[in-house]
Amino acid sequence: MMSLAARLGTLSPYLQACGPLKTLVPGAVNKEVLMKCAASGHFGARLAHTDIKIPDFSDYRRAEVLDPKASSQESSETRRAFSYLVTGTTAVLGVYAAKTVVTQFISSMSASADVLALSKIEIKLSDIPEGKNMTFKWRGKPLFVRHRTEKEIAAEESVDLSELRDPQHDKDRVSNPTWVIVIGVCTHLGCVPIANAGDYGGYYCPCHGSHYDASGRIRKGPAPLNLEVPYYEFPDEETVVVG
Amino acid sequence: MFFSNMLACNASHSTPVGGGNAPKLVCQPPLNRKEVEERRRTFRTEVVHTVDKMVASMWRISGAVNRALVKARYPLQLSLRRGQASVSYAQSLLGVSETRLTTLSNGLRIASEETNQATCTVGLWIGCGSRYESEKNNGAGFFLEHMAFKGTKKHPQSALEQAVESMGAHLSAYTSREHTAYYMKTLAKDLPKAVELLAEVVQSSSLSEAEMEQQRNVVLRELEEVEGSLQDVCLDLLHATAFQGTPLGHSVLGPSVNARTLTRNDLVEYINSHYKAPRMVLATAGGVNHDDLVALAKQHFSGVSFEYEGDAVPVLSPCRFTGSEIRMRDDAMPLAHVAIAVEGAGAASPDIVPLMVANSIIGSYDITFGGGKNLSSRLARLAAELNLCHSFQAFHSSYSDTGLLGIYFVTDKHKIEDMMHWAQNAWMNLCTTVTESDVARAKNALKASLVGQLNGTTPVCDDIGRHILNYGRRIPLAEWDARIEAVTPRIVRDVCSKYIYDKCPAVSAVGPVEQLPDYNRMRSAMYWLRF
Repeated sequence: MMSLAARLGTLSPYLQACGPLKTLVPGAVNKEVLMKCAASGHFGARLAHTDIKIPDFSDYRRAEVLDPKASSQESSETRRAFSYLVTGTTAVLGVYAAKTVVTQFISSMSASADVLALSKIEIKLSDIPEGKNMTFKWRGKPLFVRHRTEKEIAAEESVDLSELRDPQHDKDRVSNPTWVIVIGVCTHLGCVPIANAGDYGGYYCPCHGSHYDASGRIRKGPAPLNLEVPYYEFPDEETVVVG
Repeated sequence: MFFSNMLACNASHSTPVGGGNAPKLVCQPPLNRKEVEERRRTFRTEVVHTVDKMVASMWRISGAVNRALVKARYPLQLSLRRGQASVSYAQSLLGVSETRLTTLSNGLRIASEETNQATCTVGLWIGCGSRYESEKNNGAGFFLEHMAFKGTKKHPQSALEQAVESMGAHLSAYTSREHTAYYMKTLAKDLPKAVELLAEVVQSSSLSEAEMEQQRNVVLRELEEVEGSLQDVCLDLLHATAFQGTPLGHSVLGPSVNARTLTRNDLVEYINSHYKAPRMVLATAGGVNHDDLVALAKQHFSGVSFEYEGDAVPVLSPCRFTGSEIRMRDDAMPLAHVAIAVEGAGAASPDIVPLMVANSIIGSYDITFGGGKNLSSRLARLAAELNLCHSFQAFHSSYSDTGLLGIYFVTDKHKIEDMMHWAQNAWMNLCTTVTESDVARAKNALKASLVGQLNGTTPVCDDIGRHILNYGRRIPLAEWDARIEAVTPRIVRDVCSKYIYDKCPAVSAVGPVEQLPDYNRMRSAMYWLRF
């Protein structure tokens, strides 16, 4: 692309003015047209628009249009296709990048690592002797981890489901029958049941008299549902991660 | 003389219609015909004009005769006249005598259209122009045109002038990018002398050194003067940028350095390389008998050479089109002249006629037009209502294998962006939503202009010369009519899409052009996302 400002000498390299300026018509010199660019020594006057030389843009041309003797029509479709492909791809990548940046900024407002860390609890199981129930504070609620004896396991597994208010087989409430992990919040009105109490060898809620068994299921009393079982995993034999 | 080959109509192959006579094919007039007329080196004549008037009055008389015949109840006598001195369109297509074409042994072609007129135009059309020039001798053809009438070996300048003046003839010439023409308008009875003088001018011009020096100044002055014609400047720059690096980018006038340094040898060399018989056409229109003409040609033109030195036949290689722009900003000018063009069709391409129809749909406009919002072209309506421009026209300059299809407009510096937007919008409409009524109107307008431009022996002769050079034969009006008739909206859409849609345009702008949009925006306006 060429932009010229008429009558300025700055573009004299493009102009083919040669030699000292002969007056075109003797004695009648158009002073406006003749401006000498004294510093450069070139002529500042543009004598005619035909003196304008379009620069050679070969350095910028694509290979298919380097030859001035070949029509540019044949390659026009491929050139355009290439340009549009590059543009399209860049647009897709750009959108993806923008989406990534935006989601990163917005997700920075979500819970931070320390808050998330509080959401899980890791418990060493060897600390809990058999038959004992330990209580941990987890997510602001009491968490019961009970190491069951064989007798308790067998007893719970053989309970007839039709007796239960909230029928759930023991297998459905534990992944490893030795360990029962439930949230220690009575499903009636939210008190904390007492471990190893009640008529069924499990838990007893003193507030309104709900009896839970060793699997945390409601047996007697006003509570409607079994004690909630949270998500937990056993990363290895000795630990359980709850949450 | 700088005569841009605008809107050259061409059609090389199409089924001829009914072996009809070869009436003229009139294309839309060249852009700067007025300037062309002014700049011809012409010798005055009153005689030719007077004769033309006489001929016209004879037609009127015949009309009166027809009316008398009606009264006398002789309907047969007035079947074609209807009391008017006019011919129906169908008759104008077929009622003209055929253009006869003969070739001499050295390859020179002779073509003539005979009409019952007392005047004629005879000339030599040569297939050479600025496209055949190199950087070094760009402008030689133009210079040669200046030198042509300054004397021949047999007739020194004053004798030549005397010979022409005493006949009362016009002697003119023009040079364009691909054609050069020397022609004379004279009485039909003076044909032998005219052919003799033309033969001398072309073959044995004296090219004296003294005269060359004088003409050098004239050429330089003319270069300076042409700067005032911004239309020419704008379109020259358009060619320069669109065909950059190729011979079609050369201006016909050539750079001023060449005007200063061309020597007699350069001109002689130019003549020797390009003025060859197979590339010449001796064309005539008017009251001239073809056989007489052939005899005269044999007498005077047999000596034109047909061989090239070293067998170096100049072959035109294709010219690469480059989508680009050039802006010559000068805020002191009152109006901005802007031209935008895409690569168009060559003269021999079958797409020429649909493109002519397409240009006719866009049409032209001048602020002096009185149609206002009832103008037929949509762009013209907008131009009138929104005051978009002072003038615009759609043009198609076609050369032998390529062309420039574009719109040129002159506008106020605050309206450039709007005008460009609507002009490109008009192009997009052509490519997508052109309607049956648009095409029907354009076809009619085109046919009318084709017929209407062949109004005289000189336009006819020019037509003949250019056709023979472009196509090898004269395309009769009937053929053009048939081809125009065959254009449908679908064809216009397809052809326009092929040349315009999503193509890189070449833009040139002269004047206070700050408002002209960035090239990328103009490029983006060459397609619509809605399609």
